[in-house]
Amino acid sequence: MSLFEDIPVDVGIIYEGERIRGRDMQIELGGPREDYKFELVQSKPMDEIEDGKMTVVGPDLPELPEGTNTPFGMVIVVGGAELEKDLEGVIERRLHEYVNFIEGFMHLNQRYDIQMRLSKKSYQKGFNSFKVFGEVLMRLYKSELPFIEKMQVTFYTDPEKVEELYPGAMEIYEARDARARGMSDDEVDVFYGCSLCQSFAPTHLCVITPQRYANCGAISWFDGRATDKVDPKGPVFKIPKGALIDDVTGEYEGVNQVIREKSLGEIERVQLYTAFGYPHTSCGCFEGCLFYIPEVDGYGVVHRNYKGETVNGLNFVTISDLTAGGKQIDGFHGLSIEYMRSPKFMQADGGWNRVVWIPEEIRDRIKEYMPEDMISKIATEKDVETLDQLKEWLKDRGHPIVDTWKEEPAVEAAPAMPQQQMMYPQQAMPTTFTMPTMELPAGAVPGLPSGMNIRIILKNAKIKAERLIIKVDKE
Amino acid sequence: MSKKDLRLKIDELSSSIGVFKGLDIQIGRIVDDEWDEPMGPTPFPSIGTLRDWDRKLLERYKPFYMPLCDLCCLCTFGKCDLTGDKKGACGLTMAAQQSRIVLLACCIGASTHCAHARHMMNHLIKVYGRDHTLDIAINTNVQAPNTRLVCGIRPKTLRDLEDALDYVETQLVQLVATAHTGQEGDNIDFESKAFHAGMLDHVAMEVADACQISTLDFPKGVADAPMTEIGFGSIDTSKVVIMCIGHNVLPSVDIIDYLMENKLFEEVEVGGLCCTAHDNSRYDKRAKVLGPISWQLRYIRTGIPDVVVVDEQCLRTDIVDEAQKIGAPVIATSEKSMLGLPNRTHDPPDEIVDDLVEGRTPGVLILEPDKVGEVAVKTAFKMKPKRAGFKPLSMEKLIELAGTCRSCIKCVRACPNNLPIMDAVKAAAEGSVDALAEIQPMCVGCARCESACPQNLPLVSFLTKAADEKGMTDSFAIRVGRGAVTDVEIREVGRGIVFGEIPGIVALVGCANYPRGGLEVADIAEEFLKRRFIVVATGCAAMDLALRKDEDGLNLYEKYPGNFDAGGLLNIGSCVSNAHITGAAIKIANIFAKRPLRGNYEEIADYVYNRVGAVGIAWGAMSQKAASIASGCWRLGIPVIVGPHGAKYRRNLLGRADKEEDWMTLDGRTGEEKYVGPVPEHLFYSAETLEEAMVMTAKLSMRPNDTTKGRAVKLSHYIDLHKTYYGAMPDDLHLYVRVEADVPFTMKKEVLGIIKDKGWEEGKIGMLDPTLLDRMVRRKS
Repeated sequence: MSLFEDIPVDVGIIYEGERIRGRDMQIELGGPREDYKFELVQSKPMDEIEDGKMTVVGPDLPELPEGTNTPFGMVIVVGGAELEKDLEGVIERRLHEYVNFIEGFMHLNQRYDIQMRLSKKSYQKGFNSFKVFGEVLMRLYKSELPFIEKMQVTFYTDPEKVEELYPGAMEIYEARDARARGMSDDEVDVFYGCSLCQSFAPTHLCVITPQRYANCGAISWFDGRATDKVDPKGPVFKIPKGALIDDVTGEYEGVNQVIREKSLGEIERVQLYTAFGYPHTSCGCFEGCLFYIPEVDGYGVVHRNYKGETVNGLNFVTISDLTAGGKQIDGFHGLSIEYMRSPKFMQADGGWNRVVWIPEEIRDRIKEYMPEDMISKIATEKDVETLDQLKEWLKDRGHPIVDTWKEEPAVEAAPAMPQQQMMYPQQAMPTTFTMPTMELPAGAVPGLPSGMNIRIILKNAKIKAERLIIKVDKE
Repeated sequence: MSKKDLRLKIDELSSSIGVFKGLDIQIGRIVDDEWDEPMGPTPFPSIGTLRDWDRKLLERYKPFYMPLCDLCCLCTFGKCDLTGDKKGACGLTMAAQQSRIVLLACCIGASTHCAHARHMMNHLIKVYGRDHTLDIAINTNVQAPNTRLVCGIRPKTLRDLEDALDYVETQLVQLVATAHTGQEGDNIDFESKAFHAGMLDHVAMEVADACQISTLDFPKGVADAPMTEIGFGSIDTSKVVIMCIGHNVLPSVDIIDYLMENKLFEEVEVGGLCCTAHDNSRYDKRAKVLGPISWQLRYIRTGIPDVVVVDEQCLRTDIVDEAQKIGAPVIATSEKSMLGLPNRTHDPPDEIVDDLVEGRTPGVLILEPDKVGEVAVKTAFKMKPKRAGFKPLSMEKLIELAGTCRSCIKCVRACPNNLPIMDAVKAAAEGSVDALAEIQPMCVGCARCESACPQNLPLVSFLTKAADEKGMTDSFAIRVGRGAVTDVEIREVGRGIVFGEIPGIVALVGCANYPRGGLEVADIAEEFLKRRFIVVATGCAAMDLALRKDEDGLNLYEKYPGNFDAGGLLNIGSCVSNAHITGAAIKIANIFAKRPLRGNYEEIADYVYNRVGAVGIAWGAMSQKAASIASGCWRLGIPVIVGPHGAKYRRNLLGRADKEEDWMTLDGRTGEEKYVGPVPEHLFYSAETLEEAMVMTAKLSMRPNDTTKGRAVKLSHYIDLHKTYYGAMPDDLHLYVRVEADVPFTMKKEVLGIIKDKGWEEGKIGMLDPTLLDRMVRRKS
């Protein structure tokens, strides 16, 4: 028996990709032509909720003219013994998925930016009241997130009412974001582990903390918490963080223990806020990749959509190819863009003071979370193209990294950190010189008898030498 | 390194000009020793190297033989009857003989791509030099993944590709030799050899496409490759028309170059058929795609082409006779297909043109691509006015001829698709060509009906005329072949695949021998695009899916984007571009799990087989090339579905869902062996109907590593397609639900009810880190 047998349209994952064109739509709720629209989930004490209640404030679907759009608000109130206020955002974001599950219903964007369309076909099939919509949502929520015990929904289509409630909704979103970003790894006892990517990278595990998003950018600590509540045996699970080993690098006993187990001993320790030593590993789907630039002893970060070359002449693909697969690789670190908004971002390595180059697109996205004095000191592709230019830029702008240079780092001859050097493709310098005729020592050419004078003439020879040192002997 | 090359390593050399330390002198060629990836266990594998892996697959997917012929007639002992338990004079059984034919088909297919690659390579090296750098795809580090995986080399120049090709050629000779009388005797060993041929084929195809992309500047893995036109309606018949048929683009490139150099492109239409058309449009989007291979006769019968240029593969071998009927000269350009024509390679172009225009010869053979352009263009310009008097079949004549039909029904019997040709001819005799026009889209263009007709009726011309009469000569959009899937695109879909947002990858490939016309490919494509699968296409299939517009006048290429993502429709390119499809699967292992590719075939195949939910569909598979392409997929663990005509490849590779012991798989974490369910159920399956193919595709996209969310999504599609096309719930769901979370939650109650009735228990089907290789089990030392 299907969960939705008595609903006039089908509901299922298979409708997720459905698009409804303008001329096929019965009604558009919200959307770009409306100034006021929102969807909001609020948790309330159980005794304040009338389970199953649905209210429509303003005209219901049949009273809305076909093919038009309307201001729209949707407030879902949920309650449950296990339900925490912090999970409101997670529950709200499920709306996108759930609404799209409905045959002939399309949902785009989130929060104050929503656009929903109902198709004429589904409307004619009998999906002709917000109450049907509410009924579907309630069943989906309760079967997927069983910690929701009670739920009521109010739909607003009365333009005045939507406009009136809009500022309140905006405040709630802002407060929620402030709370999420203000939350610290130190104030919680559990982190969450995500092993979803182990289906492709069997030894990688993401450790998700309030201040370190999953590498893919899709799972916050709150998401982890909700997912674990729903399916405690599932691929997202609690990690009791255990005793703190080092608060600067972000190393915890509990985390190490889980990592050892889940990576089958491949990884012994993980330090959450560093790219050296025991860095957090990655699968292949990270949003961005941090890379060490030995010439200036700083970091660059490049994201997936950045098509050009970074300041060190490598592109995203080459850089990201050096890490991934659940391996700990010094100096190359997959991460989410959200993590760059975190105060713990690469804390052990100097945080933002160590970052010397990021693409303009990333900078514009996260500007307000960067230390203000650093914004103008970190170069983008618009500012510099080469490492030489970068060095000059850093000096000109007074980047703090400059003070750490004991002696001028040379671009050609890189300083210490030989292990990074090796992973660094050599910039091939085309060298042409004429090879003189020379006598080779006996035995240089295997198979030739010794004591024989041979003469080798090299024509059009390419000599690849790893290093050419020309010494002038002082007399 | 070839024997002529020298590499000299000297630890320390003192000479009058200085001291050289670690001196490495390479003469002739440079060996890539910057590749820090360690060499895997099987670089350049020989016939037997991967036998154990093949046997693992063949143990699960037992060959099911469907002999087209009960006899063996290959040596003078024969004919030998092999039915029942009988053996041939050499001792060979029916199973061994069938697998031997499969091997030969795969060898012919792989040799064809390899010979094609070699022909192009020789020419391109002459023009661009051996040291020409390969530049295959943007945003990509892992270029030429098949070559890396199989050969253990990382090609950087044309010269490096030669090494791969040398290897493929050597192996193919070895393989063909094993089919000689009195060599291999075991059917499973024959099958393993067929897998080997398939694997080699993907290297050969990769070489062919890599060298043409790099030198001719084809699109390099771009999602928004330019659009061109496909269909009879794409050709402006008031212009001079040059028709190019085949797969090797070089002669056509010369035609395009000649037109550009002489500023003649505005006056000429270059229309291609089959892969030459794909590759022409990759070279210059002004070149048109007339259609798939099955349309060659149909297009000639319109009388439109002024010159026919053929290169190689899948040509109608009677093309000279056919072109003669419309007065169009033929220019053959390949040693592989010389068609009895005089070799004029070294004659002055104007002399050749003269002979062709004056009709002194029905065609010529020109083996230097550089001369083809000038001869073809000049001839076409002179032929255009000469051919102005040519009248294709008129309606009056059609009706008159139709009236002579004797109702012997031989045409229907000869038709591979049993199309009701006779009834349509009868209706035409009465003045209505509706029935003929209706048949036309389903005709595969073989003209067997004409050969069978005792009245010698030109039945293909009937169909062509009827379709023309009904205005079925539209033009459609087609995105030109984009080439490889880039590394960045693969990274971008990682999350979607893991989270189940992308249910799988469907590859629509192969020829145009469809049971009910090419539009069925559009049906398959659209079904899975709507379901947010990634759909990649090559060859004739990539053309046929373009040939339908919706009520807004848009076709699938216009409706779906060209990037490798959920709901993306990618025209990868020509036949040889198929290597990019296996290449993408190979790259997934390298990018997500950091598995080394270099000479590491078995490990990567094990990864792809257990984790990458890709399914190949060759709905109109016809050729030996299609057989070897499929075979390369099998060895890599990618299941392939073919249409009903595919049964004539003589065998399927079918799993037994009812045998639990067949599906035991190792857990890479513990070494424990567990039952994982029949995923994927078959490795090679010929579907009788489109409906069956749709349902099977969804089912074969499941893999043991699916996350619960991923499995739930795949099951949703399987159930929905099953309900849509069979009108009922599938009866094998209990084999695919591992834990309750696998059940699509909107149908939880219903599905759990059904499977519990079948005795399903949670946990009986394992969720593990799946591998078939004991050495991949992580054991702590």
